[in-house]
Parts: sequence; structure tokens; C-alpha cells
Amino acid sequence: MSAEMANEIKLISGRSHPELSDKIAKRLGIEVARTISLNYSNQETSFTVGESVRDEDVFIIQSTATGDVNEGLMELLIIISACRTASARRITAVIPNFPYARQDKKDKSRAPISARLVANMLQTAGANHIVTVDLHASQIQGFFSVPVDNLYAEPSFLRYIRENFNPEECVIVSPDAGGAKRATSIADHLNTAFALIHKERPRPNVVGRMVLVGSVVDKVAILVDDMADTCGTLVKAAAVLKENGAKSVLALVTHGILSGSAIETLNGSVLSALVVTNTVPLGDKVQRCPKLRVIDISPTIAEAIRRTHNGESVSYLFTHAPV
Amino acid sequence: MVRNIVILGGNSHPKLVESICGVLGIPQCNRILGRFECGESRCEIKDSVRGKDVYIIQTGFGGNGVKLNDHFMDLCIMISACKTGSARRVTAVLPLFPYSRQPDVPYHKAGAPLYKTPSENGKKDYTFESVPATPGPGLPKSATFTNGSDITTRLLKTSLTNGTAPQSPTGNGKTYGEGYFNGNGANGVNGHHHSDSVSSQQGVFTKHDYENLSLVSAFQAKPGYKQWVAQAGTLVANLLSCAGADHVITMDLHDPQVQGFFDVPVDNLYGRPLLKRYILQNIPNYKEAVIISPDAGGAKRATAIADSMGMDFALIHKERRPTKITERQNASMMLVGNVEGRVCILIDDIVDTGNTITRAAKLLKKEGASKIYALVTHGVFSGDAISRISASALDKVVVTNSVPQHDHKMALGAKLDVLDISPIFAEAIRRVHHGESISVLFNYD
Repeated sequence: MSAEMANEIKLISGRSHPELSDKIAKRLGIEVARTISLNYSNQETSFTVGESVRDEDVFIIQSTATGDVNEGLMELLIIISACRTASARRITAVIPNFPYARQDKKDKSRAPISARLVANMLQTAGANHIVTVDLHASQIQGFFSVPVDNLYAEPSFLRYIRENFNPEECVIVSPDAGGAKRATSIADHLNTAFALIHKERPRPNVVGRMVLVGSVVDKVAILVDDMADTCGTLVKAAAVLKENGAKSVLALVTHGILSGSAIETLNGSVLSALVVTNTVPLGDKVQRCPKLRVIDISPTIAEAIRRTHNGESVSYLFTHAPV
Repeated sequence: MVRNIVILGGNSHPKLVESICGVLGIPQCNRILGRFECGESRCEIKDSVRGKDVYIIQTGFGGNGVKLNDHFMDLCIMISACKTGSARRVTAVLPLFPYSRQPDVPYHKAGAPLYKTPSENGKKDYTFESVPATPGPGLPKSATFTNGSDITTRLLKTSLTNGTAPQSPTGNGKTYGEGYFNGNGANGVNGHHHSDSVSSQQGVFTKHDYENLSLVSAFQAKPGYKQWVAQAGTLVANLLSCAGADHVITMDLHDPQVQGFFDVPVDNLYGRPLLKRYILQNIPNYKEAVIISPDAGGAKRATAIADSMGMDFALIHKERRPTKITERQNASMMLVGNVEGRVCILIDDIVDTGNTITRAAKLLKKEGASKIYALVTHGVFSGDAISRISASALDKVVVTNSVPQHDHKMALGAKLDVLDISPIFAEAIRRVHHGESISVLFNYD
């Protein structure tokens, strides 16, 4: 190892999403670093780095598997801390699906702002840089005092729509007022119509009445959102769109969390397809749900890693999806 | 009745929270603590905590389908929720501190740095006094310089005139370099050691898998590089402070040094008075018994009890040093002291897999002990500990309820005695709240 070889990209993968890490590694033409990560019988997590990370540019890829969020988060923190004590030059946490992103405000008395807590924890552990995809609220970036690169799945979605549909026959629909910005941005790029569904949400994970604003008659309605959790919203929105005369309804969602009985809900819905990216490990859900399609986001993340490492601008990726 | 104090319980040990509240005579704080379907923790605190002194009780124990890391995140979120809810002070009460113990490193000696080249077969003439070679002229160079950029020869070149070049730098350097990288010659030069990588071990959440040799042995560290095992204790301390804990109360920290990881005050309570009282009241003729420490690390804990009660003391020493080449991997145990025909009382802080105390008990029985007690503060009993202990030579295991013991008690029956620590914690909370000294809790008998 000569001096010029120092400070390479070291790709470290947590246990939550090894497939994504492998794809990123392949894309970058490097190997995932040899590590060992296990749980002791008392359930404490242990992590061992098998090669030197001294003065290297470390990228830790850890998504959060559905149902195992805290496990994944603690593992990530432990990995970061291990790399820091092993004298890594810079530690970038690549968290495609930022955990607790929805708990980002004090909406009730004494409700925790967990997203902020996670941000603080990541920094306390020693992360110097965060790369993530489609944060639920981009304001979460403000919880950090280290740089956060919030990548977008939008360019990938635009390509998917252009490749599979005639944009003129489509209407982009936002399933709630909060996602209107995301949806209008796609509608503007495609030069298509836009509609919005207004919903009332009495309790978390429960969806109330829905009203459609705009017209979807005889069009392909494309629902756009950042995450599909229990899919209650999407399925109800799809039904509303169908009632309002949409030819077919599909949904484009960045994070396919698909918890609980989401797959069964989807299978019984009028949605013709749910398109997600692979930010979240999907496991056997693709087999269980024929409507589920997956867009590979790894080229975008890999390119962001490469650009970050080389000190190039990442903003190109906000509008272009590498092939 | 204590005013202006809020006791908030986590889900890890509801019974302890209940009995602490019972002792203090105040109701538990109303809260919702659960999990969303996606796996994120959900926490809502129903009662006001504004200006209050909040104590959050959560022990470092995973069980009943909830993982340890979930409990720890719950704790952090509760702390943060109280902080954002304008609590005056938030104290984290962790009867068992998670990640306080760094278990033995899960790899073979092969992962440790090599002092000598394998060609010399370093282990054979390894003695305890062996020291790493210091680089110097005439000695093999460090691996970094295999490309021929050898400092000593360069220095020679600059001082000498042309033509009198010393011996080939590469020839000299290679011997060490190649051996160092386990004969994988090309690796030493281009710096890409991952070419023959065993893919990282992922997706394994099995219990006890550091004993799964197939997993561990499949993982080969880069030769010459000491594997970097995460030391999570500092991280946990920092995370608690970062969540907003102003004070931490815990019991019998495995390493008292953990206290130093915190920037906030840490009160480390002792289970020792409880254990002593148990010896006094439940062990007949205790003056004749011997206090045993199952390993050298716990000697201090055990001697403290032995000294204050005027009892004899013995120590079990784990011999890890290679005595013969064939017995290199065997950690044999040696008893220092005499237990022939006497009652033995093993003292330790944590029983986790139960390996240490059951092996110690076996040895003590072999040495002629008449009856063996094990007095341990934290009874985690993970993995196959329960079956191991019920099959062991231990006559009685005594633990505190720093972690839920109900299931363990069901499984072990009369073999297990549980001591209640809630009065100690309740008293500590009361004293901390009133700003009284708690040092009296350290040394009462």
C-alpha cells in the first residue's frame, strides 16, 4: 500500500440490506469491506471491522428493515463508532431510508421529536456526513450540523413513467396535501396534469375520508408518495381515483416499507401496480405481491458515493438518474 | 409521598417499576410506549412533566419478543420526549447497564497481529516475554515499504557516493512482506486486500452465534491487522447524554470505568449489601464457607465481601497462556485456595450464558466443595444458560431482580432465589431527588 493508495472508499455494509450494498459495490467496482456483525446471546450487537480503515473514506450502508428499525439503527451507530475509533478519516452514513423520519415534529404535548434524536445520535456516534434518499421532510436536514445529501428518486421515477407510459395520458396525483410539492414537481417535468387527494387522518396508521381535487377521467392516474407503510392511504386513494373515472391507477413510492398486512391490502386493491425503489429491503414481498415492481436506486447512491469521495458536485443527481 | 417527581417506566421490567413506585408511594407516569407496525418506537407521555424531576426506569435486557436494542431506543426516545417536554431534570435509571460488558473477542488468535513471519512459525518459539520486532537496519522491513522505497537504503544512498549501492532493497524486504501477507504475494503491493474477500457476514441474527464456528472461521481478518471490535460502552454513554439524560443511576457496573465515559453524574449502586445479607441470613454457619471469585477480574468484588464478613477467599484462575503447543486453545481453570469439604459461595456481577459459574462449580465440586452457592447481581441467563445451570453442580443461584426473573424462576424453581432491589433504587431516587447523599447506600450492611 503506497501513500497514493491511501484514502480509498471503504464500503461497509450493515446487516439490514446486503443486496443494496452488493449492488453499490459492484457499481463502484470495489468489494464490500470484510466485517463481522452479530448479536450476542444477550442480544447486544457486536461489530468487528476485518480490515484497516485508518485514514480511509468510509461509507456505511444501512437501511432499516421493516420491523427491525431499532436493531438496524443501533447497529449503524455501533459501526460508525467502531470506524471512528479505528481512525477513519471520514465516515459517511448512507441511510437510504432514514428511520423515524415521520416523527419530526412535536405534534402533541410531550411527543418526542425522534428524527432529531436520531440525527443527534448519528453525530454523537461520529458520522461526518449523511447520504439519504427522499427524506420525509427535507427540514430534517436541519437537525444535523453535518452535511446531509438528500438524494431524490424522482429522476428514476420520471424515467420509469417515460419508458412505460405516454405522459400525455397520465395524471400525477398526490395522495395528501403534504406530498403536493413532490407530485407537482414530477407533473411539471412531464408536462402533465396534476390532481390532489385531501384526506383526514384521525389517528396514526388510520385513514379517514378522502376528497379528490382535480380531474382524472380516462387517464392513467399515477399516485406519487415518499413512503408506503401500511398502504391504507394508497389503496383508499386508488379507490377514490377509480370512482372518479381513472382508466387505471398505479403508485410510485420511494420507500416501500410495507409493514403489517400491506401486501394483502395491496393484492386486494384496485391499484394496477406499486412501484417502489429498493431503499428498503423487500425480502419475499416481491414474490408475495405480483403488483409490486422495483426500481433499482443503487446507481444513484453509488454515483453519490463516488462524487462525494472525489469532491465532485452531487447536484447533478437531483435531476439525472445514472443508467 | 414524594412531590414533583415523575417515575416513567419502560417496557423492559414493568414489575420493578411498579414496586419502586410502591415504595415511593407515587403512581407511575401515564404513557403510551409501543411500536408502529414499521418497527419504529412510539412514545407519548400523557402526564405533564414540565418542571418535574423525571426518573426513567429501563433495564438493559431484551426478552419476551422485544429486543434489547428496542428497549434502549425506547429509553433514548423517552428521555428526549421528557427533555422536549420541559422536564427540569431527567435521570435514566438502568438497573442493568446495557453494553457495559465487552465480551471476549469472537475470533481466534489467528486474527491477532503477527510478530514474526509465518515462515519462522512464530507460535512455536513464542514465549510470554516475546516482544514485537522493532524495525531497524538489517531487520526485515515493515510491509509498507515492499515497493522498494526503503528508508534505510535510501538514507544509505544519500550518504554514499554512486556505485556503492547496498544490497537490493526488494530482496530484503520481500521476505518479510510476503510472509506478512500470508504468501498472497500480489496483495502486499497493490493494496487491494479484498480481492479474495469472504463476503461480510450479514443477515445473521441467531443467538449465541459467536460460538458458531462456521460463521467465525469463515471470516478471516486481513493478516497482520488486528480486528477492530466495536467497544459500545462509550457509545451507549454518549447516546444517553445526547438524548438528554442529566443523571444516570445504575447498579454493579461490570467495569467501574464506564462511569468515566459519561459527562453527567453516574451513581453506581452496589448489590453487595443485599448479597451479604443473604449470606448472613440464609447460609448456615457462613463463617466456615469460602468466598470464591470465578475469575481474576472479579477478585476485587469477592474480596470486598470476604473481608467485611471475615470469611476465607479463594480464586479461580483461567489459564489462557499456552502451556504446551497441543493445549494452546484450551483455557484450563485453576483453583487458588482450599475448598475441601467446605461450602463455596461464588460471587460475580453478571451471569449471562452461565459458562463461567457452571465451569467454576464443576471445578469446585472436583476439588471437594460440599455445597456451592452462586451469588450474582445480574441474572441475564441468555442463550442456553437455564439448562446449563440446572444441569450443573450449583446448588443454589441467587440473583437480584435487576432484570425480570419471573421466567427464570419458573424454569429453575427452587434452585434460583431472587433478591428485590426495588428498595435500594427507590431510596436512591428519593435521595437524589431531595439532594441528599446516597453514599450511605454504598456501605450499609
